Amino acid sequence: MTALDKVSLDIRSNELLAVVGESGCGKSTLALAIIGLLPSPPARVLSGEIVFKGTDLIRLGQANMREYRGTQIAMIFQEPLSSLNPVYKVGDQIAEAIMVKRSREGNARVESDFMQKTHKIVPPSKVSKSFRYSKRISGELKDEIIASLKLVRIPDPDQVIERYPFELSGGMRQRIMIAMALSQEPALLVADEPTTALDVTTQAQVLKLMKELMTKVKTSVLLITHDLAVACQVADRVAVMYAGDVVEASNVFDLFSKPLHPYTQGLLSCLPTGSKSKVDLKPIPGSVPDLRSPIVGCKYVSRCPFVMKACSEKKPEFIETMENHEVACYLHGEKNGPHPANN
Amino acid sequence: MKSPAICTVRRMDPILQTTDLTKYFPVQRGLNPFSKARKFVRAVDGVSMTIWKGTTIAVVGESGCGKTTLARTIALLTKPTSGDIVFDGKSIINGKTNSKLVYRDLQMIFQDPESSLDPNIKVGDSIGEPLEGLMGWGKNEVKNAVEKSLAAVGLPQDSVDRLPGQLSGGQKQRVAIARAISPQPKLVILDEPTSALDASVQAQILRLLLQLQKDYALSYMLITHNIAVAEYLSDYMAVMYSGNLVEYGLTEEIMAKPRHPYTIALISSAPIANPWKRNLLQAEIRGEVPSAINPPPGCKFNPRCPYAEGTCSTEIPKLLEVSPGHLVACHFVEKTT
Repeated sequence: MTALDKVSLDIRSNELLAVVGESGCGKSTLALAIIGLLPSPPARVLSGEIVFKGTDLIRLGQANMREYRGTQIAMIFQEPLSSLNPVYKVGDQIAEAIMVKRSREGNARVESDFMQKTHKIVPPSKVSKSFRYSKRISGELKDEIIASLKLVRIPDPDQVIERYPFELSGGMRQRIMIAMALSQEPALLVADEPTTALDVTTQAQVLKLMKELMTKVKTSVLLITHDLAVACQVADRVAVMYAGDVVEASNVFDLFSKPLHPYTQGLLSCLPTGSKSKVDLKPIPGSVPDLRSPIVGCKYVSRCPFVMKACSEKKPEFIETMENHEVACYLHGEKNGPHPANN
Repeated sequence: MKSPAICTVRRMDPILQTTDLTKYFPVQRGLNPFSKARKFVRAVDGVSMTIWKGTTIAVVGESGCGKTTLARTIALLTKPTSGDIVFDGKSIINGKTNSKLVYRDLQMIFQDPESSLDPNIKVGDSIGEPLEGLMGWGKNEVKNAVEKSLAAVGLPQDSVDRLPGQLSGGQKQRVAIARAISPQPKLVILDEPTSALDASVQAQILRLLLQLQKDYALSYMLITHNIAVAEYLSDYMAVMYSGNLVEYGLTEEIMAKPRHPYTIALISSAPIANPWKRNLLQAEIRGEVPSAINPPPGCKFNPRCPYAEGTCSTEIPKLLEVSPGHLVACHFVEKTT
């Protein structure tokens, strides 16, 4: 099954790129591929490259990738409770993140068995004196942890560091994940549905915070979301994915005012944006194709109102048709046309 | 600005009325099962509201505000601690009630069709079996009713022999809807009917729900945290916060001019699909939903409220009319005009 089919995207520095799409379109696979966490096997990257600051991450190998993951490229997951370790205090977990960063920069002495534990599998008898157990956090490290919690506006940070994840609310946990990710000052933050598990008011707080911190820490964000409205509220650019393809990418204003790809148009007319008396929802007919069998042409063929003969013969290329507006559709762009059907 | 259609809607009969409905769940602290110091989660704390015939009311609020408990209490899935529910002119709490009639006339559609359908029972039986008991129908009548309701929700007739595992999420939700409408109910409670679905499927289901409401003259009680869905589907809106109703009125009026500070925060926190209107980044709301076991004294919203004053932390505000049909529970409602 092809989860990602020749996806080409670029994220500029200090930009928030939102990748939107429905479940199963490959948006999370994209995120995992970027941070090198695809479970392989079964997943395999067959071709392509992921260039991060001039380095191809695909060919880097697991050991070298570790130097990037977490520190250069950080990730936030959907469910903060499962990404925090339930048996360690919040402060210790942030401390660990900060220690790892320091050791990678090579300017800090880190307890040997602490690093051993994070990098190798050590029998439990040997880790009993590890960092988390033996040391109380104090001094400069504590200040740094508190500063990072203050950055994400956690009230009473000196008490929160003594708490366990289960004692905190969902919004607090997600803010701690953001604090941990941003304590690394990553060049790229991959956020996979960071607010889906949160309430609306909390979601607003978290997104607002992410947006503010982006400028403060000077990071780029890849936001994976199924919610077009969220993307529209925070993104600089939006990429729309469908069945493993990026079908359209443009800046957020163009995408919402003049969507080019029929799927994007369909998706936008599915959004309830007012009362039933004023808004007429036009659902997209049909359903997503089965990706287990290879599809030759455009994958949207079965649902597209503008389908032509060429659409099922050859996959349209993803090209820039207007300034900063890329689309993969035979309706747009000269490189894909003149349309074979017109000849 | 009220359209005449809505004014006639207002003069309709109520299909359901709750009076001071409360539902407390006891919680046990510590290990001693005989401990006297019992505490309660006040899931629903004195809710009085009306659902008018043929209309949709959206109950909105964040997780833990008690909206699902309210729905479950109304559907007689749990017993209320106190208060009364009058359904179709008869109390279904006090006095003798034929609960079978209630179960027939009041149907519910749940959030996750995955878990509301038995994976081992064929779709046809899932829809048909309850009808034998509820309606006392024979095999043929049931078969006809199943066919009719499948057609109404736009599923092919051969889905009768399918198992839920063979259907997509949207199709499963259609089955759940078919099951709910087949006994010809008067009120259907929709508990987050689309939040497990993708945007394009959500649009299909929303349209279907509107169509069915028209065809079968249904009243809907929509439980949702999604303001956009609530605005689209509903005529009336009830906003809940920590077990209390804080605002009630016409959806149009509340969306245009919310009066309770919480409603204002809630609406401005809901993302809109309009990049020129970035309300989310302007939203001003601090703190989080309070614990339902130890709620703050007075108005439960006071620790987060920008307008809070002394009385707010001592006195619980009553739900009062600010304009005809628009009720708000706030001491300083004049501040939000």
